Amino acid sequence: MKAFVVFAVLFVAVYAADDTCYKKFDGICSGTTAKSPLPVDLSTCTASYGHIDVVLRHLIGFANSHIVRSMEYLLMSTYYGNYQKNRAGFEKLFRDLSDAKWDHAIELIKHVTTRGGSMKFTPPDFLNTEEPNVYEGYEIQSIAKALDKEKQLALEAFKVHNEASRRTDGKHDPEISSYIEEEFVHHQAKNIRKLAGYVTDLKSMLSGPDGSLSLFLFDEYLKGQ
Amino acid sequence: MKAIVASTLLLCTFVLATGDLQCSHTEPLYLTNPRWDDMVDPCVNVMRKQIKTELNAAMQYLAMGAHFSKDVVNRPGFAKMFFESASEERQHAIKLISYLLMRGELVSDVSSLIDTRALFEKINWTKWESGLSALKNALTLEALVTKDIKNVIEVCEGHTNKKRQNQEEVNDYHLVDYLTGEFLEEQYKGQRDLAGKVSTLSKFMTDHGDLGEFLFDKKLLKGDL
Ligand SMILES: [Fe+2]
Repeated sequence: MKAFVVFAVLFVAVYAADDTCYKKFDGICSGTTAKSPLPVDLSTCTASYGHIDVVLRHLIGFANSHIVRSMEYLLMSTYYGNYQKNRAGFEKLFRDLSDAKWDHAIELIKHVTTRGGSMKFTPPDFLNTEEPNVYEGYEIQSIAKALDKEKQLALEAFKVHNEASRRTDGKHDPEISSYIEEEFVHHQAKNIRKLAGYVTDLKSMLSGPDGSLSLFLFDEYLKGQ
Repeated sequence: MKAIVASTLLLCTFVLATGDLQCSHTEPLYLTNPRWDDMVDPCVNVMRKQIKTELNAAMQYLAMGAHFSKDVVNRPGFAKMFFESASEERQHAIKLISYLLMRGELVSDVSSLIDTRALFEKINWTKWESGLSALKNALTLEALVTKDIKNVIEVCEGHTNKKRQNQEEVNDYHLVDYLTGEFLEEQYKGQRDLAGKVSTLSKFMTDHGDLGEFLFDKKLLKGDL
């Protein structure tokens, strides 16, 4: 029996590199009443499995993008809420977008940790390349800007999905791809379609003689959405 | 400024390829005497700064939520509480924005109200050795925010302005009342709640260490505390 314990401990030590979590505790918990020191390296006992590391990097970036977009939409909403713009409908549209991005950011952070990751708060790369945002625009410009931002987020979702679907490289993670599909891509497609439709409406109405009245009515329409 | 307006108008027409898209419908600005939008600059500026402070607190709480969600930390109750705090802080920022809008502010320079990059850079802590240390951290954070709000009150009461800038004393009665009555009230209640939690958990931890934190976490998760 003693020999077995010694052997087991030895076994654990030798094979620690590619061990299972169970093995980490197997040698320690069995066969003796004395307390053994806990294993130092518990890397096999975390929540990560498969090729999640690369995917996680993208998922973390996706969460950070949501935080930034949420703040940007909040600024757009604020601008339309001032007494000179006085467009409660536009204010609500951008505020709803801001709220949705914020909630998604939190959900994404949770999902990063669900998959054994650790969230890192770093400013997204697009902040370096995008021209500094000016939020004081005209109505149609702001809608156009929102459309661009939504498309960028949708493409980022595709990128995460792509990283999780590389079956030939053995980097297949159906949990992530399904999560991205269910929680993001369908919803994003609808949002993009909605905003593109708004651009169409505003474009035609603003070309006519009743631009100012059109914007007022369109704003009222947005308020009811 | 005129050049910017001209170029954006040009952009508007160019992009959508219609000859006469009317994006702007400029309204003559009507100024009353005395002004109805009667907030003074020092007060507006310190309010703008406070909006940033609230959002920084939101980001700090996000980092706390992320930490306690990790598989190797596994404190879902703490995580839930901190994520909720993050959203509350964001709501505080929005409430301050709404207040300024109500008072006729934020008609210009909206873009600089939030510095998205700085939000990431101003996360001061990302790791905590225990739930208790995070709770203490949160209480300190709230105490700092309270101090900042008191400073906003002082500036907006006009006393500081008079001393510093030789200006006429302008007391913004309504804002000061709003901040003392509503904002500070919430701060003090929040702080009392956190202080109570710190105290309870400290007593657990003296004798029961990890078991205490485990139980406390499950209580937080169920909303029992
Ligand atoms: Fe706050």
